[in-house]
Amino acid sequence: MTREAVRWLNAALAGEKLDAGRVFEETELQSQENDPGLLDGGANILRRGEYLRDASKKMKNGLMFVKLVNPCSGEGAMYLFNMYLQQLFEIKVFKEKHRSWFINQSVQSGGLLHFVTPLDPLFLLLYYLRKAEKEGKFQPLNQVVVDDVFPDCILLLKLPDLEKVLRHVTEEKEIGNKKYYKYSREKTLKWLQKKVNQTIAALKTNKVNVSARVQSTAFFSGDQVSSDKEEDYICYAHGLISDYLPKELSDDLSKYLKLPEPSASLPNPPSKKIKLSDEPVEAKEDYTKFNTKDLKTEKKNSKMSAAQKALAKVDKSGMKSIDTFFGAKNKKKIGKI
Amino acid sequence: MDLSDLERDNTGRCRLNSPVPAVCRKEPCVLGVDEAGRGPVLGPMVYAICYCPLSRLADLEALKVADSKTLSESERDRLFAKMEEDRDFVGWALDVLSPNLISTSMLGRVKYNLNSLSHDTATGLIQYALEQGVKVIQVARDQAVKNWRFVEKLPDLDADYGSGYPNDPKTKAWLKKHVEPVFGFPQFVRFSWRTAQTILEKEAEDVMWEDSPTGDQEGLGRITSYFLKEGPRTRPHLPHRYFQERGLESATTL
Amino acid sequence: MESSDEAATEKRRIHLRPATLRDAAPGTLHLLPCEVLRSRAAPVRRFFAPAIRQGPDGLAVSFRGRSLRGEEVVVPPGLVGYVMVMEEKGEDFSGGSENDEEEPEPLERDFDRFIGAIASFSRFTLWGLETIPGPDAKVFGALTWPTLAAAIHAQVPED
Repeated sequence: MTREAVRWLNAALAGEKLDAGRVFEETELQSQENDPGLLDGGANILRRGEYLRDASKKMKNGLMFVKLVNPCSGEGAMYLFNMYLQQLFEIKVFKEKHRSWFINQSVQSGGLLHFVTPLDPLFLLLYYLRKAEKEGKFQPLNQVVVDDVFPDCILLLKLPDLEKVLRHVTEEKEIGNKKYYKYSREKTLKWLQKKVNQTIAALKTNKVNVSARVQSTAFFSGDQVSSDKEEDYICYAHGLISDYLPKELSDDLSKYLKLPEPSASLPNPPSKKIKLSDEPVEAKEDYTKFNTKDLKTEKKNSKMSAAQKALAKVDKSGMKSIDTFFGAKNKKKIGKI
Repeated sequence: MDLSDLERDNTGRCRLNSPVPAVCRKEPCVLGVDEAGRGPVLGPMVYAICYCPLSRLADLEALKVADSKTLSESERDRLFAKMEEDRDFVGWALDVLSPNLISTSMLGRVKYNLNSLSHDTATGLIQYALEQGVKVIQVARDQAVKNWRFVEKLPDLDADYGSGYPNDPKTKAWLKKHVEPVFGFPQFVRFSWRTAQTILEKEAEDVMWEDSPTGDQEGLGRITSYFLKEGPRTRPHLPHRYFQERGLESATTL
Repeated sequence: MESSDEAATEKRRIHLRPATLRDAAPGTLHLLPCEVLRSRAAPVRRFFAPAIRQGPDGLAVSFRGRSLRGEEVVVPPGLVGYVMVMEEKGEDFSGGSENDEEEPEPLERDFDRFIGAIASFSRFTLWGLETIPGPDAKVFGALTWPTLAAAIHAQVPED
């Protein structure tokens, strides 16, 4: 949403102030609002631990978007915390060139559609655990998950069952009643292999085309999908999971999965494909030519037409050029086929 | 004339015709073709043919048919009624091309310019009849414009749009008055006319289509800035092809 | 650092008003094959909706003299669409004192914001330029993401 849009909408239209459309996981977000039992759950949060007390005022809302690190790129990305249900969501945005929304009685430039889907918080914790690994020692989690750029990373510490999930990727020690953690490469790779396996299963169930460099991957017949090789699935799943991993860990995983080298160093080979799915460049240039040509004739036409009432002859002279345009038109049609 | 089809849906094209007189199937006939409403920025364009046996041409001339431009509206109405009386030897057919059809053809990805559209329509009519005629179609166009039922729900639209020709100050004023910043004009207007486009360029929001001439350059600009923004730290991170193929990326803002 | 705009954006929390999710009325959405360069009010009900025709193979309409072909897209089951609006500082679109109990106190940090839903949707109309978007349209692919995401982010089984 551009600031300009917001300002404009605020100024002029109550009730039509909007952002792009978003698709939420209904069960995660909405049902709790209709379910008094779950609102009780919200109250529980407030009663729970000391670490929540100072934040409780801010937590009252329970749903908030924050910027956290994207563990793959190291850049910032938007996430949603649901403090009632103690869940973390990532946000993907659907973005295509030349799109806009009509939303009720307004137009919204850009045509963005946001997808809010649950995210395994371990991917984010891993990012910090690996950074802390350089210290080479066991550390309490609140010393591991710190970030000057994205201080809201501390919200991750409020997610449930951390002790349990951290076992997948760390060695731990308990001193007194405090836990100390250390990143474990072996355990992490094992955990990631499981992630890859469950991703492969889902790719198969959802009939995602993982091999061919064809334009339409999403919707191919079952036959085509079943001809995909197991290695293609592993590669593809590795690539998908790698979108949540730092580069070195992705490379490690690739070796661990015994994938061929090139796919590891170039996890996204068909990046040019996106362009292919658009109109070919030559065609665009062609259209431009036609466009200018057409504007010229159009000018001529409207002049002729203006005179038409008085001079029937003028029209006929306009008709003389029909062949040129007729030919051009046919050519275009063939081009399209 | 029954314009009910056109009134039911005026977003496409509509063919109207008289029954073919039996005599026209036997005797050699003369056929005339003409168009009306080629020039205006508003309203439909009409192509018509009229035909009668060569032997009866004098009878038709006796009705005092003439170039429609030299006839008053009431004379044209009278002539049309007379011709309807003479349906035993005069036949006619016409095609009404809605302004929406003209707009979407001329502005289409595959450009279909007005000359081709005219040519094809006229040819189509001649093919339909394969005979000959007179210039009385002004009646049809005028009726179509007068009774134009706007597809849009525009109660406050004022009906005083003049002749519809771009050089008519009234028409121009009407266009300027009724331009809507997002939609431009109602479908009654031929968007493909320069007059309409000039007003849109000035008064309405810019709209980019994938085949817009400047669309390509804009795209390049965007890609460049993307690369620059990343800085020296890393190569730009491209999401996995699963996401690229679906137009998805991590949201960095709301 | 705190005062710089950039730092504020990185640290900004955008609180979602929960009541707006419950109250959002169904909205009408069209995804167009063109970019209208500015967001603003648009009389869709008067200019666009009445001109839509149901053809033998889909919907047809025109916009700015260009022919559009369209089809209905249903939001996959289990998902719900919301139209969200970010409130500028000091605004409150959630309206109504009935929600007061649930609403958070005023923002503690002036770079934080509220966001709320102003409409919900379970379907929208997807438009293509002169051709029906068809199953290869990217947005259909995008709509399959939540299912795959659920599988990727599910907890792995214990050993």
